[in-house]
Amino acid sequence: MKSTDRSKAPKAHPITRINFIYPEVETLKNGVNLYCIRQTNDRTVRIDFTFNAGSLNDAKVLAEIAGELLLSGDATQTSDVIEESIDQLGGYTEVKVNTEKATLTVFGLVEHILSITKIVVDAIQNVNFDSKELKQTIQERRKELKIRLQKVKTLAQRTFVSHILKETPYGELIHLDDFDKVKKEDLIDFHQRNYLNGLQQINIVGALEDKEIKDIKNLALRFNKKDTVIPNYSYTHTPTILHLEKDKALQTAIRIGRMLFNKKHTDYKKFIVLNTLLGGYFGSRLMTSIREEKGYTYGIGSGVVQLSETGYFYIASEVAKEFKDATLNAIKAEIEKLQTTLVDNEELELVKNYLIGQILEQSDGAQAMMDRFNSVNYFGLTLNYYDDLIRTINQINPEEIKALAQRYLKWEDMTIVTVG
Amino acid sequence: MIEFESFTLENGLRVIFHKDVTTPMVAINTLYDVGARDESPDRTGFAHLFEHLMFSGSIHVPNFDTPLEQAGGNNNAFTTNDFTNYYDILPAQNIETALWLESDRMLSLAFTDKSLEVQRNVVIEEFKQNYLNQPYGDLWLELSPLAYKKHPYHWTTIGKSIDHIKNATMEEVKAFFDRYYHPGNAILSIAGNLELNQVKDLVNKWYADIPSRKKHIRNLPKEPVQNEFRTKTIVREVPSDLYVFAYKMPGRGKQGYYEADLISDILGHSKSSRLYKKLKKQEELVTDIDAYITGTIDDGLLVIMAYPDDHVSIEQVESSIWEELEKLKAKPIEEKELEKIINKMKTSKAFEEQGILNKSMILAFHELMGDANGINTETAKYEQVSIESIQKTAQDILHINNCSRLVIKSNEID
Repeated sequence: MKSTDRSKAPKAHPITRINFIYPEVETLKNGVNLYCIRQTNDRTVRIDFTFNAGSLNDAKVLAEIAGELLLSGDATQTSDVIEESIDQLGGYTEVKVNTEKATLTVFGLVEHILSITKIVVDAIQNVNFDSKELKQTIQERRKELKIRLQKVKTLAQRTFVSHILKETPYGELIHLDDFDKVKKEDLIDFHQRNYLNGLQQINIVGALEDKEIKDIKNLALRFNKKDTVIPNYSYTHTPTILHLEKDKALQTAIRIGRMLFNKKHTDYKKFIVLNTLLGGYFGSRLMTSIREEKGYTYGIGSGVVQLSETGYFYIASEVAKEFKDATLNAIKAEIEKLQTTLVDNEELELVKNYLIGQILEQSDGAQAMMDRFNSVNYFGLTLNYYDDLIRTINQINPEEIKALAQRYLKWEDMTIVTVG
Repeated sequence: MIEFESFTLENGLRVIFHKDVTTPMVAINTLYDVGARDESPDRTGFAHLFEHLMFSGSIHVPNFDTPLEQAGGNNNAFTTNDFTNYYDILPAQNIETALWLESDRMLSLAFTDKSLEVQRNVVIEEFKQNYLNQPYGDLWLELSPLAYKKHPYHWTTIGKSIDHIKNATMEEVKAFFDRYYHPGNAILSIAGNLELNQVKDLVNKWYADIPSRKKHIRNLPKEPVQNEFRTKTIVREVPSDLYVFAYKMPGRGKQGYYEADLISDILGHSKSSRLYKKLKKQEELVTDIDAYITGTIDDGLLVIMAYPDDHVSIEQVESSIWEELEKLKAKPIEEKELEKIINKMKTSKAFEEQGILNKSMILAFHELMGDANGINTETAKYEQVSIESIQKTAQDILHINNCSRLVIKSNEID
């Protein structure tokens, strides 16, 4: 048998084309948009109901508890009955509440999804925030928060976000005693304003028939849409260095970052390349230096968190306590290198190929494609964004990377938080 | 129905191929039949440390990740008590990059003293991050040796202690490779839009010349029948107590396994489960309660975790749990309740099997269990479970002398 030449890598071929699939769109009579991808190759269905029920306009704790209690019962049935009937049909539900929105997702198989969705929608519509349910949920959430507050990474993240966004509701934190302030009347009012009158959009991924889609549309018409008001906050931020000592901690959690922008900004697409190079993938400069060369950490990464009108850049890690300062110095050195030395073509080429490969993977399959769509549609952009992104990635050169690093990664602009 | 083809190379490598015409990606999953249970008791954490070293260079490749990223792909790996699994996902046209990399590290590793040193430190930081510096993070470090006395499930995949990792030597690492990392001890599972002939040609090209070695015959000490109630209390800097009850149950696929899995669902899988409704909703003894199985290949554990409310005693929680367990042993469950948990199981299975990466991984796992087609027949095995056999399994498992109880006390309360 002829033996295979292993001495050099097989030739890798660039990705020339990505097929992005647009969901079917329909605007319902109440103004709510329904987005649908029905071409799937299995029996699963996922339906997201997105409400304008984040915490921007109210107390953060109120938004969180309201979301948690959506299936907690009404005048005619208890939460046990509701959960039992969803489970009987093999359904799963998930609620995610963040500052800007709340999304309830229903998962099920195609033969039961309509019945499950009806139960869920009835429950959301009629929830009456029973006092006992409220008490139990508050106890559970308070305990969860207490546990999270033991973690250095939670403390670092809270300190970081509350500092860089302190002029805005994004920087608000939930404290343990906030749970005592949640009142039933406030929840009822919150629900009225932000759920009954706050449905924003529906996504359906699954092989549903026209008739079933029509039934879901009718369910959606029970809600009203709210016009989104563009918040107008001051995002000014003074770079600061903060350290919280935690006696018995074995590791120090690090957060470094600054206010930046979101994908609506012209430099965002280019910045993605710079971020990837610095800390956005396994072979990044930060992973190579701090994990693979020095062994200070299990992991380190960087990224951009996007808010509706802006965004922030962060570097995050948990490192051996004794290497805290060494790690900070090494991070600073990596950033300075990007600002002073041109990245060589081979490394840049790798990052380009890697990024485009990730876009391909993250668009593979109906579920992934819906997520891709949401992540641009939310910012008022179309899937053309990805074509532009790929073009930008392909065209960016080492000089531009260096200039971006000089402009957006100035060490003196960074807030540095360490806990441990 | 997930269709697949399988074939075996002369050197013993088992190959599974699932064709999916809808994806532009290809998934390459390599499962090695070695896990933490194969470690020596004085060198625990070794299979997992080794998994890290598999990325530190092989005979013709200085660094595993770079060429894969260059080809637009990404990869990761994980180690369990039973096996070690490596996966790559990349654009289909670049499949050979992954086959080149994976076959080269099956052929021979080439890492240095320096990379061993660095990965030891990385794993020690992982140990601290996930097991020591987290509230309740050491739960399994304490529970495993309580529940298992002889069998190597006695320790967790990260290892018994940091010292075992610190002391790992180059010779030991090499011996580990020779024993477990060869074609006859591996399952290669590929999924993507390819033709079977193409897959055969490529796999032959990259793997056929890897020499075969003798498969190590596993001879693990059997865990004796428990026959005693075990309990341990530890005090930790955590905000509230946690009570863990672990019952021995049959290993994956063995008689009574499916029953025990369904019992854990009946007890604590969802908000309509028996323990959740009773202890949380009706009696308000806990802020949360959960039941699940470890699902290991050798005898596993059915675990109940209760987060008690702060004013509640362990006696109250425990007697309420036992009441519910006794009910399950005394009275057959309703047909409707069985239908409910089967329906839940079918939905979660359908979602878990989405995408080529999940499919390739699950196929490889079933092949390890004896037949890749298990992916298609497993649901029927759950559907065949009868009400009577659930009751009988509950009687077999859910008794005090089969229970190991770990109490994590908060130093902040009392």
